Parts: sequence; C-alpha cells; structure tokens
Amino acid sequence: MSYSIFPKIDNNQLKEPMFFGQPVNVARYDQQKYPIFEKLIEKQLSFFWRPEEVDISQDRIDYQRLPEHEKHIFISNLKYQTLLDSIQGRSPNVAFLPLVSLPELETWIETWAFSETIHSRSYTHIIRNIVNDPSLIFDDIVRNENIRARASDISSFYDDLIHDTMLYSQLGPGEHVINGKTYNVDLYQLKKKLYLCLMSVNILEAIRFYVSFACSFAFAERKLMEGNAKIIRLIARDEALHLTSTQHMLNIMRSGQDDPEFAKVAQELNQECHDMFAQAAQQEKQWAEYLFRDGSMIGLNKDILSQYVEYITNIRMAAVGLKPAFEGAKHNPIPWINTWLASDTVQVAPQEVELSSYLVGQIDSEVSADDLSGFEL
Amino acid sequence: MSIITTTDKSFQLLKGESLLDGLERTGHEVEYQCRSGYCGVCRLTLLAGKVSYDEAPLAYLGQSEILPCCCTVIEPIRIECRAGRQGELPVDTDQYTLDI
Repeated sequence: MSYSIFPKIDNNQLKEPMFFGQPVNVARYDQQKYPIFEKLIEKQLSFFWRPEEVDISQDRIDYQRLPEHEKHIFISNLKYQTLLDSIQGRSPNVAFLPLVSLPELETWIETWAFSETIHSRSYTHIIRNIVNDPSLIFDDIVRNENIRARASDISSFYDDLIHDTMLYSQLGPGEHVINGKTYNVDLYQLKKKLYLCLMSVNILEAIRFYVSFACSFAFAERKLMEGNAKIIRLIARDEALHLTSTQHMLNIMRSGQDDPEFAKVAQELNQECHDMFAQAAQQEKQWAEYLFRDGSMIGLNKDILSQYVEYITNIRMAAVGLKPAFEGAKHNPIPWINTWLASDTVQVAPQEVELSSYLVGQIDSEVSADDLSGFEL
Repeated sequence: MSIITTTDKSFQLLKGESLLDGLERTGHEVEYQCRSGYCGVCRLTLLAGKVSYDEAPLAYLGQSEILPCCCTVIEPIRIECRAGRQGELPVDTDQYTLDI
C-alpha cells in the first residue's frame, strides 16, 4: 500500500500491528493496543526540563582550571554526545513514523525525538558557556576522524532502513528499475532492517551514552563541572525512559504476538544482534582509549571504563533476550555512578544547582504533640 | 514479614523497606538507576513466590522477572541475586523500624 498521510480507509486501529499496517489516520488515544506507549508519553512529558534552568556559570571557571588532558576528555565527550543526539533528535521521526500504524506508538516516537532535541540544545548551552568560539567544537564533529567513525557506526542502520522504506512506500514491494539500477523491495527484508535499526537504537541508548555519562559524573565527584553533571543527570533520566521504550518494542516484536513474522525475524537475527552489542562495546572501549590518550582522570581510566562498558552491555543484552557477550564482567567497577544516575534525587531548581547534595544536612524541624507522647514528667 | 531467600542468604524486610533497599542493606550486588520502575535496571529473576505492584511498572518485565525497586513482597520469595564483596550495611533506624 502506498503511503498516505491520512488514509481514509475505515480501519480498526486496535487490530493494526505496530509497524507495516495501515498508516495512522486519526490520532486518538481513548483506546490503545499497547497502553505502555501512552504511559511512556505521560512520563516523558512529566520529565520536561529546559537547559536554561540549570546554572552552569561555575563550570566556566572550573573548565579554565582543568589540565589540558582533562579538557580533551570533557570536550570530546560533548562532541560525541552532540553527534548522538543530532542523530536521535531527527531519525526516529524520519525512519519510524512512515512505518508505524498505531497512534500511541506514533506519538511516543515524536515525544521521544522531541526530548532528544532538548538534549541537543543543552549541549549548545554548555559549550557556549565554556568556550568563546563554539564553532571550533561543532565544526570538529564532522572533521574529527574519531567522531566520524562513530557517526557511520550509528547512522548506517538508519540510512539503510530509510532508503528502503522510501522505495517501499512509493512503489510497494517488487522489483523496480530506477535510473537504470534495479532495486528489489521485499517486505520481509524491510522488516529485518527495521528490527536491526531498532536494535541499533537500543544499543545507542543502552551503552553508547554511558561512557560520556561516566566521565561527566567523575568530574562532578571531584566537585568540578557540576552544572554539566546536573544537565547530564536530566539527560540520563530521559535516556533511561527511551531505552525502556525500545526494549518494549523489541520484546513485543520478538514474542510474535504483534506480527508473527517478527518472531521469525528476531530468531534469524539473534546472532547478528548479539554481535552488534559486542561490536558496540568494542567501539566504546576504543573511544575510551581515545579519551584517555593524553592521561587518565582521577577515579577513571581506560580499563575501569572498559570493564564498566562490558558490565552494562551484559545487562542491556539480557533485557532484550540476548545472552551476555562478556562472561567475566559480573561486577560494576564504578558503583558510585548509580548515585548520579538515580533520578529520584534529580532537582532542577536553579538555586539548587551548586551543591546537589545540600539537602543531606537538613533536619526535619516539625514537631507535633505526638512526638512528645513518649516523655513522662 | 515474608522471608526473602537469595542465592547466598535469607533475610526479612524491615517495615517500609522496599525489596531493593533490603537487598542493598544485606550486602547484595544489585544495580539501580531510577528506583521507581521505569528504567528496569534492577530487574531480577524470581524463582519462587509472588510479588505484586501498586501500579504496573513502565519497564519491560519478562515472565518470572521482578523489579525490586517498586514491587511489594506478599509471600516468602526466592530470587536470583548474589551477595557482594562488601558486607551488610548498618540499619538506618531513622528510616525504618524493625518489625518484631
């Protein structure tokens, strides 16, 4: 069926699959095939924040005082994160929206991508604050070899899917000759590409962000760049939710309950998905090597970070039904990171940015008559 | 109070304590992030018994998986979870009361 932005065919949306059914016509949420996506939308909306709410003025002073090799770590991570969110702020919409058939899933994808654009804007907020010429940093993202390598690892699955989706939605399945070149568009192959793309996004949000997160929090453990860490905590909270969403999509697909063909797809791609995780972990370890090429930082070095990457890779793989890639990685080498990732302590009020732990010393000064009932005079 | 049996030991939850808090107190190695049911990082395998949830958590749960951060233990359970290298933590008496 060729794509229409509003198919006028009267369909029962509850009977459509997540992807490759009739494109969504009426955006209605009174009935949902998968209420989980509606709940994710609500949660994401409740997380709404703006980078300007976080005061990062102290970070400028901290940054000036950092030794050169730590400046390299800090700036390189920002470049990498900018790259990741440049991709994520756009591609779920471009790649998945033309294929989706459920209104709640469609809106989740849009809400998800929108929150990534807030992340992108927060990197500009951070970079503008610490350097005089942000262009030096932004321009390097497409020029620096190490970042460019990351970009193609991540975007290739999206590009692959988007390319074939365009042919499918305009011409439908079959053999097509365009400009003398023959393209074979096959729905089953397209389903495979979608599954791989979702897995690659899952990996992006499950592993790739966490090396940078660890570095940001390692600075903040030393009371440095705390404004940045505050923003990263908000980003990490959003990313945890996005990760949950792709885990749901993948698990619903591989169970076959939504579209039985996807159970077959998942089974056929099991080894490939396993290898994708292992390869991503390897690439992140290489990235850690690049970060620490001129020296480590206190509390964090290439080996510790590599162990952490292996450890979380195993956890994330289990969540989508894959066997762990790193048998030896059973312990978290940097357990302190969880305190930073724990979102129940995230505060956004600007006056509270400098010391996020300042509530620790507070005493509950409220006294009621009941509190004194145990005393006798 | 129901008895929690893990791979390495067994213990009782304190009043008002979540399963995740209890596992941390008794020195188990357990991951966490959101502590409110949407990230799924603390996910554990339930071997025997049942837990319930006040509100269905957002994180994906496979069959026989539980989220110790937000589940309520309603009967004695057995879970797959190892004790870590560090010992037990002291009970924070301001936060919990022993249920005797």
